[in-house]
Amino acid sequence: MGNAVRSNKLRLTDILVTIVIAVVFGVIYKIWGPTYDLMKPFGIHAEQMIYGMWFMAGTFAFVVIRKPGVAILAEVAAATVSAFLGSEWGMSTLVYGLLQGLGAEVFFAAFRYRLTNLMVTCLAAVGAAAASLILDYQYGYIDSLSAWNYTLFIGFRFLGSIIIAGVFAYYLAKALELTGVTRSLRPVSKQDYEALD
Amino acid sequence: MQISFPHRETWLHAVNPGLKLVILTLMFIMVILIHNLNVMANVAVVMLLLLCWSGHPWYRLLLYASPFILVFISTSTGMMMFGKGETTWFRSGLIHITEESFYRGLHLGFRSLSMAAAGLLFGLTTKPVRLFYSLMQQWRLPAKYAYSFLAAMRMIPILLDEFQTLRYAIRIRGTKQRSSRWNLYGTLKRYAIPLLAQSIRRAQRMAIAMEAKGFAEGQSRTYYVQVGYSRADLWFTLYYVILLSTAFALGILYPYHPHLVDVR
Amino acid sequence: MHEEERPQVVGVNNLRCKFPGEQALLFQGLSLTIRQGEKVLLLGPSGSGKSTLLQILSGIIPNSVEIPMKCDEIQVPKQAGFVFQDPDTQFCMSYTDEEIAFVLENRNIPREHMPEQISQYLNQVGLKFERNRQLIHSMSQGMKQRLAMASMLAMQPDVLFLDEPTALLDDEGTTQVWDTVKQIMQNKTLIIVEHKINEIVGLVDRIIVLSPDGKIVADDRAEQIFADHREMLRDYGIWYPGVWDEQEQEHGENQKQEQGLHRSSNRLASEDYRVMTDTEPGKTGSLTDLVKMSTPEAEPALELQHFTGWRGKTPFIEIELAQVWHGDWIAVVGANGAGKSSLLLALMNILKTTGYYRVEGQLPGKTEKLADHIAFVFQNPEFQFVAHSVKDEVEFSLLSGTLSAEEQHQQTHAMLEQFNLQNLTDRHPYQLSMGQKRRLSVASALVREQRILLLDEPTFGQDARNTFAMLSQLERLRRQGTAIIMVTHDREIVKRYCTHVWTIDKGRLIDADLVSTP
Ligand SMILES: Nc1ncnc2c1ncn2[C@@H]1O[C@H](COP(=O)(O)OP(=O)(O)OP(=O)(O)O)[C@@H](O)[C@H]1O
Ligand SMILES: Nc1ncnc2c1ncn2[C@@H]1O[C@H](COP(=O)(O)OP(=O)(O)OP(=O)(O)O)[C@@H](O)[C@H]1O
Ligand SMILES: [Mg+2]
Ligand SMILES: [Mg+2]
Repeated sequence: MGNAVRSNKLRLTDILVTIVIAVVFGVIYKIWGPTYDLMKPFGIHAEQMIYGMWFMAGTFAFVVIRKPGVAILAEVAAATVSAFLGSEWGMSTLVYGLLQGLGAEVFFAAFRYRLTNLMVTCLAAVGAAAASLILDYQYGYIDSLSAWNYTLFIGFRFLGSIIIAGVFAYYLAKALELTGVTRSLRPVSKQDYEALD
Repeated sequence: MQISFPHRETWLHAVNPGLKLVILTLMFIMVILIHNLNVMANVAVVMLLLLCWSGHPWYRLLLYASPFILVFISTSTGMMMFGKGETTWFRSGLIHITEESFYRGLHLGFRSLSMAAAGLLFGLTTKPVRLFYSLMQQWRLPAKYAYSFLAAMRMIPILLDEFQTLRYAIRIRGTKQRSSRWNLYGTLKRYAIPLLAQSIRRAQRMAIAMEAKGFAEGQSRTYYVQVGYSRADLWFTLYYVILLSTAFALGILYPYHPHLVDVR
Repeated sequence: MHEEERPQVVGVNNLRCKFPGEQALLFQGLSLTIRQGEKVLLLGPSGSGKSTLLQILSGIIPNSVEIPMKCDEIQVPKQAGFVFQDPDTQFCMSYTDEEIAFVLENRNIPREHMPEQISQYLNQVGLKFERNRQLIHSMSQGMKQRLAMASMLAMQPDVLFLDEPTALLDDEGTTQVWDTVKQIMQNKTLIIVEHKINEIVGLVDRIIVLSPDGKIVADDRAEQIFADHREMLRDYGIWYPGVWDEQEQEHGENQKQEQGLHRSSNRLASEDYRVMTDTEPGKTGSLTDLVKMSTPEAEPALELQHFTGWRGKTPFIEIELAQVWHGDWIAVVGANGAGKSSLLLALMNILKTTGYYRVEGQLPGKTEKLADHIAFVFQNPEFQFVAHSVKDEVEFSLLSGTLSAEEQHQQTHAMLEQFNLQNLTDRHPYQLSMGQKRRLSVASALVREQRILLLDEPTFGQDARNTFAMLSQLERLRRQGTAIIMVTHDREIVKRYCTHVWTIDKGRLIDADLVSTP
């Protein structure tokens, strides 16, 4: 019977919880999208400060569940949901989602999924931002913006994602932990079994 | 979800959803590789044209497509006003519009327009159930992912109801007046924590219920919905192959503007 | 216990179990056997571990949920059918046929046989649709629970487990569900957990009672339990047949001692005037005259004429004419989805409203301002929690008032004590049991002492003791002149506590009447 072996495999519960978290964010993204578009034409890239919202599903879901693959799954799921809701970026969200999730996942993996603190979360946010920039470089020709504009763009994107997908996501997950709903997602400790004897 | 609006079923609905997903995603990669504005404009037209067979009435299509204008403007203007270029058309303060940046901006606008059209087409003509059955049957997606997606989709309307109730509660308890409107984190937290906590608990209960109904990992299973390939898939593939080749050929042989072969 | 020796189908020996991170064990050496064909009811106060035990016996713990448990021996059924409490969280598909097909797929039934079997199982629970395809989201709660039962039958289970399947249902849904159970239960083993036992005592042949600390304290035939252990059931605060009458006797006596004034005088008054109103059913004018005499207030608490609450362009609740006076306790009754919650939201000016509406003689104004006059308790308590501890939650309501910190603290404490939450002051509101959450939401609404209360099903999921405590608290407030409007599905409460009943049907107030005496 279920002994306290720590398994890193995703169970049905983990997958369902991850995807449901992504759905919540997918709905938020849907509301977020027009805000972003409205801020964009001003050209000074204020919109990049809130771009980090799109990485939040991945980092947040990982801090909650802490298993391999969760960051990618959450990002892809959030993108799928917004695609079904008729996202104005259409199919590109799926590819962006996949790459951003990968960008975040790399950093969680680098710490062998053991460490989940503010620093790691921020690093993962940076990873997601970097992945999105690689794609933007191809898709949006950001390198052919004038130099000051280009710097602002990249700077704001990283800064915004550290604040939102790093710091916000981390403290939001901590606040969620206070409610106790995440407790049953964690593996059961040995002591808990020993207390039964 | 627009899927629940009444609409005609067209041949696009019959296309294998997995194939549709793959082709439309490939389109994204292709679009990234196009640097010729003439070709890009043609491709955008080809993508938009397909929406005629979505089976939804015109007014609704226009309604859904209205954000496209915003996307077009938002993606193109940034590049137009602040892009690099030699042939200056207009200069005022930081804004510097050049011929090169203008056309590059236009190119970006067409890019996002074609992706938006592809996304809308996918959303309007694909039923989630068929997509995930297809991904399980033809693309070997493990059942636990497919059913989790479907279960989560079911939660969207419930979630929207809850979001509304939460807004009511916040007004009644007067939480809103008591914190600054600019406290982004505070606002986010006030909405997100109850919604997430509820949803997570609900997801856990759903997973338990699914397993109680005999769902297990790695079991062999039959399928209620059989999604296969049909003639529609052939048409769909041919449409892209033929019309996109035409778009390329026309764009290269009969350019709208001869300078626009490479906007980079 | 039982003469005939049928084979055992479910059993556990020396079960120990605890929740991760908790100190105390939930079960310390519990043993239990259930034989084939038995219909067992598990009773126990809220939080005694009934749901947990059911999940262990069906194998959900530890197969799907990891909760630390050990036992010497356990027998779980090969196929267990489980119906859960919440109708909305047991389906993974959007349509009825897909949902049952999901079970058939799991059982590897060939696709060709599925449509036929789907109709068969839907018929068995009395659900019939065109092409067997119906959007689950659009079904009533009672229908959803019957669908859950159909998909459970599709498992071809040896044992059926029912965990409070009617907790969130109205009377009609409850009856539907238990009628269905009656039809399908022949030759099946049945294990039920349920608070609302009136409808099912005739159905079960064995009752097991759990004590608050998770021990089996009684296990016998149904009639025997209610005959021999009445005292114990009452001590634990468990519902049992006749509890209301006993409660009323006590209630009446206490009040007599307290003030020499009690409900029966009120009751007499209402009986006199019932005759009057019978001639004019549905009209409230004559009733209010009566109440006006008994309360010195000049102004009604709420006054409504041609009042409509809208969601978008659709009217969701319409009221021709109604008045509420201080000292009234109005029960709002009606089927699931009739518009009861919408009525309360409209009164709170959260839905857009049109028509004549006055609160204590004044224009209602914005929701935020209305909240100074009216206290509101939501149907789902979790949405109104804003703080991170029970204590802060109650104190939060007082923050906008004029009290000093010391007074706030005292009031909060008094309130928590009244609602039996004093030992939980530092818990996070989400970590309470269902009943405790309800009580906290009521406590944090009452603490500001507004003179109008809107309560949306405040007693559901509550065990007997806490229900009575809450009701007498409300009764005290009512006598001090608070106007109460309360949505409830519980006939006993309406009959015994409320002064008026408003019946809502399809979004209309169709009947506003004084409560008739039994
Ligand atoms: N996830 C959890 N973590 C910690 N404690 C829990 C958890 N779930 C339940 N409990 C506690 O375990 C005890 C038994 O819970 P259970 O749900 O089995 O009670 P119950 O008898 O079904 O009550 P009710 O009649 O209210 O449904 C309760 O005291 C509850 O607070
Ligand atoms: N946010 C909403 N948007 C649209 N319709 C809604 C919304 N909330 C509820 N409804 C619908 O309004 C009708 C009345 O709902 P309401 O919640 O007032 O019913 P109720 O009488 O309180 O039912 P219950 O006994 O289940 O609580 C229902 O048909 C419901 O589906
Ligand atoms: Mg229970
Ligand atoms: Mg309601």
